[in-house]
Amino acid sequence: MYPDCDLEMLMARYQRGDFAAATALIHRLSPQLHRFFVVQFTSRGHADDLVQETWLRIHEVRHTYRAGEPVLPWFYAIARHIRVDHYRKASRTAAREEPLEEMHASALSPPGSSRTPDLEALLACLPDSQREVIEMLKVAGMSLDEVARATSSSVGSVKQKAHRAYQRLRERLSAVDLSKGRTGELS
Amino acid sequence: MRDKEIDEILKQAAQAPHNVDPALLDRVANSIGSSLRPVRPLPPIWVLAGGLTLICAIVALAGAARAGFYGIQALSVLERVVIFPVLGILIWLGAAAAVVEMIPGSRRRTGPGTLLAAGSLALLVVFAILFHDYRTGRFVSQGIACLAAGLLHAIPAALGSWFLLRRGFAVNPVAAGLVVGTLAGLAGVSMLELHCQNLETLHVMVWHTAVMPVSAAAGALLGWAARFRSFVNRRSAP
Repeated sequence: MYPDCDLEMLMARYQRGDFAAATALIHRLSPQLHRFFVVQFTSRGHADDLVQETWLRIHEVRHTYRAGEPVLPWFYAIARHIRVDHYRKASRTAAREEPLEEMHASALSPPGSSRTPDLEALLACLPDSQREVIEMLKVAGMSLDEVARATSSSVGSVKQKAHRAYQRLRERLSAVDLSKGRTGELS
Repeated sequence: MRDKEIDEILKQAAQAPHNVDPALLDRVANSIGSSLRPVRPLPPIWVLAGGLTLICAIVALAGAARAGFYGIQALSVLERVVIFPVLGILIWLGAAAAVVEMIPGSRRRTGPGTLLAAGSLALLVVFAILFHDYRTGRFVSQGIACLAAGLLHAIPAALGSWFLLRRGFAVNPVAAGLVVGTLAGLAGVSMLELHCQNLETLHVMVWHTAVMPVSAAAGALLGWAARFRSFVNRRSAP
Protein backbone atom coordinates (compact mmCIF):
# COMPACT_ATOMS: atom_id res chain seq x y z
CA MET A 1 0.00 0.00 0.00
CA TYR A 2 1.29 3.45 -0.84
CA PRO A 3 0.40 6.78 0.71
CA ASP A 4 -2.12 8.49 -1.52
CA CYS A 5 -0.26 11.82 -1.49
CA ASP A 6 2.79 10.04 -2.88
CA LEU A 7 0.71 8.68 -5.75
CA GLU A 8 -0.87 12.10 -6.28
CA MET A 9 2.57 13.64 -6.58
CA LEU A 10 3.67 11.00 -9.07
CA MET A 11 0.46 11.50 -11.05
CA ALA A 12 1.02 15.26 -11.21
CA ARG A 13 4.57 14.69 -12.46
CA TYR A 14 3.31 12.14 -14.99
CA GLN A 15 0.87 14.77 -16.32
CA ARG A 16 3.82 17.14 -16.71
CA GLY A 17 5.55 14.56 -18.90
CA ASP A 18 8.00 13.08 -16.36
CA PHE A 19 9.00 9.62 -17.59
CA ALA A 20 10.52 8.58 -14.23
CA ALA A 21 7.17 9.30 -12.52
CA ALA A 22 5.29 7.32 -15.18
CA THR A 23 7.64 4.36 -14.71
CA ALA A 24 7.31 4.58 -10.93
CA LEU A 25 3.52 4.54 -11.20
CA ILE A 26 3.63 1.56 -13.57
CA HIS A 27 5.85 -0.42 -11.20
CA ARG A 28 3.84 0.51 -8.13
CA LEU A 29 0.31 0.03 -9.38
CA SER A 30 0.61 -2.73 -11.97
CA PRO A 31 0.72 -5.60 -9.44
CA GLN A 32 -2.46 -4.24 -7.84
CA LEU A 33 -4.20 -3.86 -11.19
CA HIS A 34 -2.97 -7.29 -12.29
CA ARG A 35 -4.41 -8.85 -9.18
CA PHE A 36 -7.69 -7.00 -9.75
CA PHE A 37 -7.94 -8.67 -13.16
CA VAL A 38 -6.73 -12.06 -11.97
CA VAL A 39 -9.41 -12.09 -9.27
CA GLN A 40 -12.01 -11.55 -11.98
CA PHE A 41 -10.64 -13.76 -14.75
CA THR A 42 -8.16 -16.15 -13.14
CA SER A 43 -5.97 -16.34 -16.23
CA ARG A 44 -2.64 -14.54 -15.88
CA GLY A 45 -2.29 -14.25 -19.66
CA HIS A 46 -5.57 -12.39 -19.87
CA ALA A 47 -4.61 -10.24 -16.91
CA ASP A 48 -1.31 -9.30 -18.60
CA ASP A 49 -3.20 -8.12 -21.68
CA LEU A 50 -5.68 -6.18 -19.59
CA VAL A 51 -2.97 -4.47 -17.55
CA GLN A 52 -1.29 -3.38 -20.76
CA GLU A 53 -4.59 -2.16 -22.23
CA THR A 54 -5.40 -0.32 -19.00
CA TRP A 55 -2.09 1.55 -19.02
CA LEU A 56 -2.54 2.57 -22.63
CA ARG A 57 -6.01 3.93 -21.80
CA ILE A 58 -4.67 5.64 -18.67
CA HIS A 59 -2.01 7.26 -20.82
CA GLU A 60 -4.63 8.49 -23.33
CA VAL A 61 -6.84 10.04 -20.67
CA ARG A 62 -4.26 11.08 -18.05
CA HIS A 63 -5.41 14.70 -18.37
CA THR A 64 -8.76 13.72 -16.79
CA TYR A 65 -7.09 13.21 -13.41
CA ARG A 66 -7.50 16.32 -11.29
CA ALA A 67 -4.90 17.24 -8.68
CA GLY A 68 -6.10 16.83 -5.11
CA GLU A 69 -8.48 13.99 -5.92
CA PRO A 70 -7.71 10.43 -4.73
CA VAL A 71 -5.66 8.56 -7.32
CA LEU A 72 -6.76 4.97 -6.78
CA PRO A 73 -10.46 5.48 -7.64
CA TRP A 74 -9.37 7.13 -10.89
CA PHE A 75 -7.13 4.17 -11.79
CA TYR A 76 -9.65 1.58 -10.74
CA ALA A 77 -12.53 3.28 -12.59
CA ILE A 78 -10.51 2.98 -15.81
CA ALA A 79 -9.39 -0.57 -15.04
CA ARG A 80 -13.00 -1.50 -14.34
CA HIS A 81 -14.06 0.00 -17.67
CA ILE A 82 -11.45 -2.15 -19.45
CA ARG A 83 -12.61 -5.22 -17.51
CA VAL A 84 -16.27 -4.64 -18.35
CA ASP A 85 -15.37 -4.16 -22.02
CA HIS A 86 -13.35 -7.33 -21.99
CA TYR A 87 -16.15 -9.21 -20.23
CA ARG A 88 -18.58 -8.15 -22.96
CA LYS A 89 -16.18 -9.21 -25.65
CA ALA A 90 -15.56 -12.54 -23.96
CA SER A 91 -19.24 -13.23 -23.41
CA ARG A 92 -19.95 -12.59 -27.09
CA THR A 93 -17.11 -14.64 -28.49
CA ALA A 94 -17.04 -17.64 -26.19
CA ALA A 95 -19.27 -19.44 -23.78
CA ARG A 96 -18.35 -18.56 -20.23
CA GLU A 97 -16.23 -20.99 -18.34
CA GLU A 98 -17.48 -22.77 -15.26
CA PRO A 99 -17.04 -20.80 -12.03
CA LEU A 100 -14.15 -21.79 -9.84
CA GLU A 101 -16.27 -23.07 -6.98
CA GLU A 102 -15.40 -26.73 -7.47
CA MET A 103 -11.91 -26.25 -8.76
CA HIS A 104 -10.72 -24.21 -5.80
CA ALA A 105 -12.68 -25.75 -2.97
CA SER A 106 -9.53 -27.34 -1.68
CA ALA A 107 -7.71 -24.03 -1.73
CA LEU A 108 -9.95 -22.60 0.98
CA SER A 109 -8.36 -22.93 4.36
CA PRO A 110 -10.25 -22.39 7.60
CA PRO A 111 -8.91 -19.83 10.08
CA GLY A 112 -5.94 -21.06 12.02
CA SER A 113 -4.69 -23.15 9.16
CA SER A 114 -1.02 -22.60 8.45
CA ARG A 115 -1.56 -22.47 4.66
CA THR A 116 -2.05 -18.98 3.17
CA PRO A 117 -5.43 -19.01 1.46
CA ASP A 118 -5.57 -18.30 -2.25
CA LEU A 119 -7.35 -14.98 -2.80
CA GLU A 120 -8.80 -15.89 -6.20
CA ALA A 121 -10.20 -19.12 -4.80
CA LEU A 122 -11.62 -17.34 -1.79
CA LEU A 123 -13.47 -14.78 -3.87
CA ALA A 124 -14.53 -17.17 -6.63
CA CYS A 125 -17.86 -17.88 -4.94
CA LEU A 126 -18.87 -14.21 -5.11
CA PRO A 127 -20.72 -12.50 -7.96
CA ASP A 128 -18.60 -10.05 -10.00
CA SER A 129 -19.97 -6.90 -8.36
CA GLN A 130 -19.31 -8.17 -4.82
CA ARG A 131 -15.92 -9.59 -5.74
CA GLU A 132 -14.65 -6.29 -7.10
CA VAL A 133 -15.86 -4.43 -4.02
CA ILE A 134 -14.08 -6.86 -1.67
CA GLU A 135 -10.96 -6.73 -3.82
CA MET A 136 -10.86 -2.94 -3.71
CA LEU A 137 -11.65 -2.73 0.01
CA LYS A 138 -9.51 -5.53 1.37
CA VAL A 139 -6.71 -5.96 -1.16
CA ALA A 140 -6.20 -2.48 -2.62
CA GLY A 141 -6.98 -0.96 0.79
CA MET A 142 -9.39 1.63 -0.54
CA SER A 143 -11.96 3.36 1.67
CA LEU A 144 -15.73 2.98 1.17
CA ASP A 145 -15.86 6.42 -0.44
CA GLU A 146 -13.03 5.56 -2.83
CA VAL A 147 -14.69 2.29 -3.85
CA ALA A 148 -17.94 4.19 -4.43
CA ARG A 149 -16.07 6.61 -6.68
CA ALA A 150 -14.35 3.82 -8.61
CA THR A 151 -17.57 1.90 -9.16
CA SER A 152 -19.75 4.99 -9.85
CA SER A 153 -22.10 4.04 -7.04
CA SER A 154 -23.06 5.26 -3.59
CA VAL A 155 -21.31 4.46 -0.32
CA GLY A 156 -24.51 2.74 0.83
CA SER A 157 -24.48 0.44 -2.17
CA VAL A 158 -20.82 -0.45 -1.56
CA LYS A 159 -21.58 -1.22 2.10
CA GLN A 160 -24.49 -3.43 1.05
CA LYS A 161 -22.36 -5.35 -1.46
CA ALA A 162 -19.58 -5.83 1.11
CA HIS A 163 -22.12 -7.05 3.66
CA ARG A 164 -23.61 -9.55 1.21
CA ALA A 165 -20.15 -10.69 0.17
CA TYR A 166 -19.25 -11.35 3.81
CA GLN A 167 -22.45 -13.34 4.26
CA ARG A 168 -21.57 -15.50 1.27
CA LEU A 169 -17.96 -15.93 2.38
CA ARG A 170 -19.15 -16.90 5.86
CA GLU A 171 -21.47 -19.59 4.43
CA ARG A 172 -18.78 -20.83 2.08
CA LEU A 173 -16.02 -20.97 4.66
CA SER A 174 -18.31 -22.61 7.23
CA ALA A 175 -19.29 -25.24 4.65
CA VAL A 176 -15.64 -25.96 3.87
CA ASP A 177 -14.93 -26.13 7.57
CA LEU A 178 -17.77 -28.62 8.08
CA SER A 179 -16.82 -30.83 5.15
CA LYS A 180 -13.22 -30.94 6.36
CA GLY A 181 -14.48 -31.88 9.81
CA ARG A 182 -16.60 -34.68 8.35
CA THR A 183 -13.72 -36.02 6.29
CA GLY A 184 -11.64 -36.01 9.44
CA GLU A 185 -14.29 -37.98 11.34
CA LEU A 186 -14.58 -40.58 8.58
CA SER A 187 -10.88 -41.16 8.36
CA MET B 1 -17.56 -17.52 11.64
CA ARG B 2 -17.26 -13.83 12.58
CA ASP B 3 -16.44 -10.88 10.34
CA LYS B 4 -13.08 -10.48 12.09
CA GLU B 5 -12.07 -14.00 11.12
CA ILE B 6 -13.08 -13.40 7.50
CA ASP B 7 -11.12 -10.14 7.62
CA GLU B 8 -8.10 -12.07 8.86
CA ILE B 9 -8.37 -14.67 6.08
CA LEU B 10 -8.71 -11.94 3.43
CA LYS B 11 -5.79 -10.05 4.94
CA GLN B 12 -3.58 -13.15 4.83
CA ALA B 13 -4.63 -13.83 1.24
CA ALA B 14 -4.00 -10.23 0.20
CA GLN B 15 -0.52 -10.28 1.72
CA ALA B 16 0.58 -13.14 -0.51
CA PRO B 17 3.03 -11.67 -3.03
CA HIS B 18 1.65 -11.02 -6.48
CA ASN B 19 4.35 -10.48 -9.02
CA VAL B 20 3.97 -9.20 -12.54
CA ASP B 21 6.33 -10.14 -15.33
CA PRO B 22 9.01 -7.38 -15.36
CA ALA B 23 9.14 -7.65 -19.17
CA LEU B 24 5.47 -6.63 -19.28
CA LEU B 25 6.15 -3.58 -17.12
CA ASP B 26 9.09 -2.58 -19.31
CA ARG B 27 6.95 -3.01 -22.42
CA VAL B 28 4.23 -0.78 -20.93
CA ALA B 29 6.77 1.84 -19.81
CA ASN B 30 8.40 1.91 -23.24
CA SER B 31 5.14 2.25 -25.13
CA ILE B 32 4.04 5.08 -22.82
CA GLY B 33 7.45 6.76 -22.90
CA SER B 34 7.45 7.05 -26.66
CA SER B 35 4.42 9.36 -26.61
CA LEU B 36 4.94 11.07 -23.27
CA ARG B 37 4.44 14.83 -23.28
CA PRO B 38 2.93 17.32 -20.81
CA VAL B 39 -0.86 17.48 -20.76
CA ARG B 40 -3.23 20.17 -19.51
CA PRO B 41 -5.51 18.74 -16.78
CA LEU B 42 -9.25 19.28 -17.07
CA PRO B 43 -10.60 22.47 -15.46
CA PRO B 44 -12.43 22.19 -12.10
CA ILE B 45 -15.93 20.67 -12.13
CA TRP B 46 -17.64 23.98 -11.36
CA VAL B 47 -16.03 25.65 -14.39
CA LEU B 48 -17.22 22.92 -16.75
CA ALA B 49 -20.67 22.82 -15.11
CA GLY B 50 -20.90 26.59 -15.44
CA GLY B 51 -19.99 26.31 -19.12
CA LEU B 52 -22.69 23.69 -19.70
CA THR B 53 -25.27 25.83 -17.88
CA LEU B 54 -24.33 28.77 -20.06
CA ILE B 55 -24.70 26.69 -23.23
CA CYS B 56 -28.20 25.57 -22.16
CA ALA B 57 -29.20 29.17 -21.32
CA ILE B 58 -27.89 30.48 -24.65
CA VAL B 59 -29.70 27.77 -26.64
CA ALA B 60 -33.00 28.39 -24.79
CA LEU B 61 -32.76 32.19 -25.10
CA ALA B 62 -31.65 32.11 -28.74
CA GLY B 63 -34.46 29.69 -29.64
CA ALA B 64 -37.07 31.80 -27.88
CA ALA B 65 -35.67 35.02 -29.37
CA ARG B 66 -36.01 33.52 -32.85
CA ALA B 67 -39.53 32.14 -32.26
CA GLY B 68 -40.81 34.88 -29.92
CA PHE B 69 -40.99 35.27 -26.12
CA TYR B 70 -44.78 34.62 -26.05
CA GLY B 71 -44.60 32.07 -23.25
CA ILE B 72 -42.90 34.25 -20.66
CA GLN B 73 -45.27 37.09 -21.54
CA ALA B 74 -48.26 34.84 -20.87
CA LEU B 75 -46.91 33.68 -17.48
CA SER B 76 -47.82 35.46 -14.26
CA VAL B 77 -45.05 36.81 -12.02
CA LEU B 78 -45.50 33.89 -9.59
CA GLU B 79 -45.27 31.38 -12.43
CA ARG B 80 -42.09 33.01 -13.74
CA VAL B 81 -40.53 33.17 -10.27
CA VAL B 82 -41.19 29.45 -9.68
CA ILE B 83 -40.63 27.86 -13.11
CA PHE B 84 -37.35 29.46 -14.17
CA PRO B 85 -35.43 29.00 -10.90
CA VAL B 86 -36.56 25.34 -10.81
CA LEU B 87 -35.32 24.90 -14.39
CA GLY B 88 -32.08 26.71 -13.48
CA ILE B 89 -31.46 24.40 -10.51
CA LEU B 90 -32.21 21.29 -12.58
CA ILE B 91 -29.89 22.49 -15.36
CA TRP B 92 -27.10 23.13 -12.84
CA LEU B 93 -27.57 19.67 -11.27
CA GLY B 94 -27.65 18.08 -14.73
CA ALA B 95 -24.52 19.98 -15.78
CA ALA B 96 -22.62 18.90 -12.66
CA ALA B 97 -23.76 15.28 -13.17
CA ALA B 98 -22.66 15.39 -16.83
CA VAL B 99 -19.18 16.61 -15.84
CA VAL B 100 -18.87 13.90 -13.18
CA GLU B 101 -19.75 11.22 -15.75
CA MET B 102 -16.83 12.39 -17.91
CA ILE B 103 -14.19 12.27 -15.15
CA PRO B 104 -13.27 8.75 -13.99
CA GLY B 105 -13.32 8.20 -10.23
CA SER B 106 -15.40 11.29 -9.47
CA ARG B 107 -17.85 11.32 -6.59
CA ARG B 108 -21.31 10.77 -8.04
CA ARG B 109 -23.98 12.54 -6.00
CA THR B 110 -26.96 11.58 -8.17
CA GLY B 111 -27.28 8.65 -10.51
CA PRO B 112 -28.35 9.39 -14.11
CA GLY B 113 -31.68 7.61 -13.69
CA THR B 114 -32.41 9.38 -10.40
CA LEU B 115 -31.65 12.74 -11.98
CA LEU B 116 -34.02 12.07 -14.87
CA ALA B 117 -36.81 10.76 -12.64
CA ALA B 118 -36.43 13.51 -10.02
CA GLY B 119 -36.20 16.21 -12.71
CA SER B 120 -39.30 14.99 -14.54
CA LEU B 121 -41.20 14.66 -11.27
CA ALA B 122 -40.17 18.15 -10.13
CA LEU B 123 -41.40 19.67 -13.40
CA LEU B 124 -44.67 17.71 -13.26
CA VAL B 125 -45.33 18.89 -9.70
CA VAL B 126 -44.51 22.53 -10.52
CA PHE B 127 -46.72 22.52 -13.62
CA ALA B 128 -49.57 20.75 -11.79
CA ILE B 129 -49.48 23.30 -8.98
CA LEU B 130 -49.20 26.40 -11.17
CA PHE B 131 -51.51 25.70 -14.11
CA HIS B 132 -55.24 25.13 -13.69
CA ASP B 133 -56.61 25.32 -17.22
CA TYR B 134 -57.83 21.78 -17.83
CA ARG B 135 -59.01 22.23 -21.42
CA THR B 136 -57.42 19.94 -24.00
CA GLY B 137 -58.02 21.72 -27.29
CA ARG B 138 -55.78 20.46 -30.12
CA PHE B 139 -53.96 18.41 -27.50
CA VAL B 140 -52.05 16.15 -29.90
CA SER B 141 -51.29 18.52 -32.79
CA GLN B 142 -50.07 21.37 -30.58
CA GLY B 143 -48.33 18.92 -28.30
CA ILE B 144 -46.35 17.28 -31.08
CA ALA B 145 -45.30 20.70 -32.36
CA CYS B 146 -44.00 21.62 -28.89
CA LEU B 147 -42.25 18.27 -28.43
CA ALA B 148 -40.56 18.64 -31.82
CA ALA B 149 -39.52 22.23 -31.08
CA GLY B 150 -38.13 21.24 -27.66
CA LEU B 151 -36.18 18.33 -29.13
CA LEU B 152 -34.85 20.47 -31.99
CA HIS B 153 -33.42 22.85 -29.41
CA ALA B 154 -32.03 19.97 -27.38
CA ILE B 155 -29.81 19.04 -30.33
CA PRO B 156 -27.61 22.18 -30.31
CA ALA B 157 -27.47 22.03 -26.50
CA ALA B 158 -26.27 18.42 -26.69
CA LEU B 159 -23.72 19.25 -29.39
CA GLY B 160 -22.41 22.20 -27.37
CA SER B 161 -22.18 20.01 -24.25
CA TRP B 162 -20.34 17.32 -26.16
CA PHE B 163 -17.90 19.92 -27.49
CA LEU B 164 -17.22 21.28 -24.02
CA LEU B 165 -16.78 17.80 -22.53
CA ARG B 166 -14.89 16.29 -25.47
CA ARG B 167 -11.63 16.00 -23.45
CA GLY B 168 -13.35 13.94 -20.76
CA PHE B 169 -13.54 10.15 -20.66
CA ALA B 170 -16.81 8.37 -19.97
CA VAL B 171 -16.25 5.04 -18.25
CA ASN B 172 -19.95 4.37 -18.84
CA PRO B 173 -20.97 5.94 -22.18
CA VAL B 174 -24.64 4.98 -21.76
CA ALA B 175 -24.90 6.78 -18.41
CA ALA B 176 -23.00 9.77 -19.82
CA GLY B 177 -25.33 9.88 -22.83
CA LEU B 178 -28.35 9.70 -20.56
CA VAL B 179 -27.17 12.62 -18.42
CA VAL B 180 -26.16 14.81 -21.36
CA GLY B 181 -29.51 13.98 -23.01
CA THR B 182 -31.34 14.99 -19.83
CA LEU B 183 -29.42 18.26 -19.70
CA ALA B 184 -30.09 19.01 -23.38
CA GLY B 185 -33.76 18.17 -22.81
CA LEU B 186 -33.87 20.72 -20.00
CA ALA B 187 -32.57 23.34 -22.44
CA GLY B 188 -35.45 22.36 -24.74
CA VAL B 189 -38.00 22.64 -21.90
CA SER B 190 -36.62 26.08 -20.97
CA MET B 191 -37.04 27.25 -24.56
CA LEU B 192 -40.65 26.02 -24.56
CA GLU B 193 -41.42 27.84 -21.29
CA LEU B 194 -40.07 31.05 -22.81
CA HIS B 195 -41.87 30.58 -26.12
CA CYS B 196 -45.06 28.48 -25.82
CA GLN B 197 -48.13 30.47 -24.82
CA ASN B 198 -50.37 27.41 -24.43
CA LEU B 199 -50.77 27.17 -20.64
CA GLU B 200 -53.24 24.26 -20.57
CA THR B 201 -52.24 22.02 -17.67
CA LEU B 202 -52.17 18.75 -19.61
CA HIS B 203 -50.37 20.27 -22.58
CA VAL B 204 -47.56 21.61 -20.40
CA MET B 205 -47.38 18.55 -18.16
CA VAL B 206 -47.33 16.00 -20.96
CA TRP B 207 -45.65 17.60 -23.96
CA HIS B 208 -43.23 20.05 -22.37
CA THR B 209 -42.04 17.61 -19.72
CA ALA B 210 -41.75 14.81 -22.31
CA VAL B 211 -38.88 16.64 -24.02
CA MET B 212 -36.58 15.66 -21.15
CA PRO B 213 -37.09 11.85 -21.08
CA VAL B 214 -37.19 11.61 -24.88
CA SER B 215 -33.95 13.56 -25.17
CA ALA B 216 -32.41 11.46 -22.36
CA ALA B 217 -33.41 8.24 -24.15
CA ALA B 218 -31.83 9.52 -27.37
CA GLY B 219 -28.65 10.38 -25.46
CA ALA B 220 -28.49 6.93 -23.87
CA LEU B 221 -29.00 5.34 -27.28
CA LEU B 222 -26.15 7.38 -28.74
CA GLY B 223 -23.97 6.40 -25.76
CA TRP B 224 -24.77 2.76 -26.38
CA ALA B 225 -23.96 3.19 -30.08
CA ALA B 226 -20.62 4.84 -29.21
CA ARG B 227 -19.74 1.97 -26.90
CA PHE B 228 -20.76 -0.58 -29.51
CA ARG B 229 -18.71 1.20 -32.17
CA SER B 230 -15.59 1.29 -30.02
CA PHE B 231 -16.14 -2.39 -29.19
CA VAL B 232 -16.40 -3.28 -32.91
CA ASN B 233 -13.35 -1.14 -33.74
CA ARG B 234 -11.28 -2.87 -31.12
CA ARG B 235 -12.42 -6.30 -32.25
CA SER B 236 -11.46 -5.59 -35.83
CA ALA B 237 -8.12 -4.05 -34.84
CA PRO B 238 -5.15 -6.29 -35.72
